[in-house]
Amino acid sequence: MRTGDFKETYGELVALTDSPPVWLWSAVLLLALILAPYILNSYALSFMIMILITVVGALGLNILTGYTGLISLGHVGFLVTGAYAYAIAVSKYGLPPVAGFVAAGVVPAVASLIVGTPSLRLKGLYLAITTLAFSFIINTLILEARWLTNGARGIAVQRPILFGVSFDSDAAFTYLCLGFALAALLATLNIRRSRVGRAFVAIRDNDTAARVMGINLHAYKLIAFATSAFVTGLAGALYGIYLSFVSVEGFPFLLSIEALAILIVGGLGSALGAVLGTVLIVLLPEVTRLLFNLFSAQMDAMFTTGAQELKSMLYGLVIILFLRFQPRGLVGAWHDIRRFWVHWPLRY
Amino acid sequence: MINRFAAALLLATASHAGAVGTAAAEPGITETEILIGDVEPLTGPPALLGVAASIGHKIAIAEANAAGGINGRKIRYVLEDDGYVTARTIQGARKIVDVDKVFAMVGLSGSGQSIAAMPVLEKAGIPTVIDVAPVKPLWEPPRKNVFIVGQSYEEGIKHLVAFLADKNPGKKWGLITQDDDYGIAVHDGFDSMVKPKKLSVVYSGSYKKGQQDFSSEMLQLKDAGVEVFLAGGIIAENVAMMKELEKLNVKPVTGIFWPGRIEPVLKLIGPAGDGIYAVDYVEPFAGEAGKAFLEKAKALVSEAEFKGINRYTMAGYAAAKVLIAAIGRCGKDPTWACTIAELEKTSNVETGVMAPISFGSGVRFSNQKLKIMQADFSTLSFKPVD
Repeated sequence: MRTGDFKETYGELVALTDSPPVWLWSAVLLLALILAPYILNSYALSFMIMILITVVGALGLNILTGYTGLISLGHVGFLVTGAYAYAIAVSKYGLPPVAGFVAAGVVPAVASLIVGTPSLRLKGLYLAITTLAFSFIINTLILEARWLTNGARGIAVQRPILFGVSFDSDAAFTYLCLGFALAALLATLNIRRSRVGRAFVAIRDNDTAARVMGINLHAYKLIAFATSAFVTGLAGALYGIYLSFVSVEGFPFLLSIEALAILIVGGLGSALGAVLGTVLIVLLPEVTRLLFNLFSAQMDAMFTTGAQELKSMLYGLVIILFLRFQPRGLVGAWHDIRRFWVHWPLRY
Repeated sequence: MINRFAAALLLATASHAGAVGTAAAEPGITETEILIGDVEPLTGPPALLGVAASIGHKIAIAEANAAGGINGRKIRYVLEDDGYVTARTIQGARKIVDVDKVFAMVGLSGSGQSIAAMPVLEKAGIPTVIDVAPVKPLWEPPRKNVFIVGQSYEEGIKHLVAFLADKNPGKKWGLITQDDDYGIAVHDGFDSMVKPKKLSVVYSGSYKKGQQDFSSEMLQLKDAGVEVFLAGGIIAENVAMMKELEKLNVKPVTGIFWPGRIEPVLKLIGPAGDGIYAVDYVEPFAGEAGKAFLEKAKALVSEAEFKGINRYTMAGYAAAKVLIAAIGRCGKDPTWACTIAELEKTSNVETGVMAPISFGSGVRFSNQKLKIMQADFSTLSFKPVD
C-alpha cells in the first residue's frame, strides 16, 4: 500500500505518474476505447465521437484558462476558424487532409496572436469581453468573405483519407478522434510539466511575481493563446468533419459557455478534469433521460421533445451544485476519494 | 469512468431498441405498428416552425390511423428535439435510425441542420421526406432515398418580384435580407430578377440574425425613397421593420416570404401589416382549402396543438401524407426499397393543402407551384390574389 509521496529526483517530480496502477488502468481504459467502436451502435458511437472532439477543444481551452488563468469567452471563434481552415484547404482547394489539419491548427494560432495581444494589458472580465468580441468579429469576417468561405452557405466537408486509410465509417472516424484526443491529452500533460507550463501556472497564480522571477509575460501569454488556439482549431476541424458541413450556424456562442462549464465541472487547470468534465457534460442529458426512462415512458418523451431546454437546465444545475459543493470539480472529488482510500482508516 | 458510461449507455440503448419489436425484416415494423421518425427544433425560437411541422405530421398520421393505419398497422410517430443545434440534429437522426429503428423519416429541422444530417440518412438508406426547409443542396445532387416537398427560396423570390414588378412598374425598390443561407438565397433570387424586370434598386442591405432594432435601416430606406420593399426577415425582424416604417410614416408596397407568412405576425405588426404581399406554396388558411384543413385538424389534435398550427403544419401534413401513401402502396410487407420506388412514382398526389405533389425517376424535388397572397388585417389572415 502507498503511504505517501516521496520524490527523490527532479525526474520523479515531473513524471506523468509514478504509480503502476495508474499506468495499468490507463492501458485498460485505452483498450476499452479501442474496442468500443466494435461494440457500440452508431448512436452511442456518436456520443463517443462528441466526447473525443470535445475533449480536444476543452484541453485547448484548459491551456489558456486552466493553466494560464486567462479567461476566454470567445473560444468558439478559434473552433470555427479551425473548421473553416480545414474546409477551405481540403474541400475548396483540394489539399490533402493532413495539410487541412495543419491549417486548422496554424490559422487559429495566428488569429490568436491578434486577440492575444490585448491580453498583455487586459485581465479577468476585460479580457473575457475582448475574446467574446473576437468570436463575433470572426463570424462576421466569415460571412463577409464569401469568395473564400461561401459566406452563410457554408462548405461541405467529406470524411478524410489519411495515409491511404479511409475514415469514412463512424468506427474509423472514432479512431481518428481518439488519436487526436490522446495526442492533445499527452501534449497538454507534457506542456504542464515543462518549463513553459510552469511559466503558465506562475502567470495564473500571480503575474507580478512571475515577472519578478524573470518570466516574459508578453511572450508566454502569447504562447498560451497560440497553443490553446492551435489545439482548439484541431477540435474545430474534427467537429466540422463530424457535421459534414461547416457553417457559422453550426458553431453557436453557446459552445464557448459549454467549454467553460466543462472546465468548471471537471476542475480548472487539470487535464484529467477537462476529460472528466467533458464526459459528464456531454453524457449528462442522455444518461438522465435513460434513467428517467426506466421509471416512466412519459418522462422519456418529455426529454426527447424538450431536450434542449432540459439540457440547459441540467447544465445550470450541475454548475451551481459544483460551485457550491465541489469547487475543485470532478478532479477534486476524485482526489478526495483517492486520499480517503489510501489513508483509510486514518482521516489524513 | 468513460467505460462505465459507455456500458450504461450501451445497456440502456440496447434495452430501448429491444422494446421496439422484432417482428419484421425491415426496421420499424412490427405486427401492429410502423414507426416514422422526425427531428425538429421543439425548443427555442425556431420551435415556431418545428412544433408546427410536427403537428402537421401528427395530423396526417392521426388521419391515417383513424382510417385503419397502413394496411392494418398503426403508425407511431417518434419525435426528437434538436433545439436547432446542428450536432444535435445529427445525433437525433442517428438515435431515430439506430436506437428507435424507425421505418421512415419525415420533416427534419432547418436547412443547415438537414444538410448536415444527409450523410447519416444517405448511409442508412432510410426513406425520407423533407418538408421544413427546402434548399437546393438537399436535392442537388439527388439522393436515392431523400425526397423534398416544397419550393426553393430563389424561385419564391423570383415569383414575388415578378408579380410586384408587373403591378408596380417604374418604382424604386429596396431589399433587406438575413445574413444566413436563407438570406443569400433570397438575395440571389432577387438579383436574378433585377435585369429582366429592369428594377431600379435604391436600397439593398443585410442584417445580423437575431437583430431587433431596424431604425437605422428603415431610415435609410425612407431616405432612399423606396416604394416597393422586400422584407427578408422571418418573424420578429419583419415585425420590427414594419413597426419602424409605421413610426416613420412610410408605407411602401411590401413583400415577405413564406418563413414569415404566419398569421400571428399580422397581429404583432398591427394595421401597418394590412396589404402586405406574401409568396408561398401552401394554401392560406383564409381560403377554402385552408378552412377545410383546419376543420380536419380540429378533430385530430389537442387544443394546445391546434393553437400551434401555421403554414409549416400544412407543409408537414403534405409530406407525411405522401410518405404514408407510398408505404401503403407497398402492401402488407413494405420494404425500404419498395417505399423509395413508390415515392419515386408519386405523381400528382392531392393533399388539399398545396398543389399536387410529384416526383420522378431521378427527381427528388416536388417543385411546388407558388401562389401570391395578401394580408388582411381585419381578419388577421392572408388571402390569395393571383
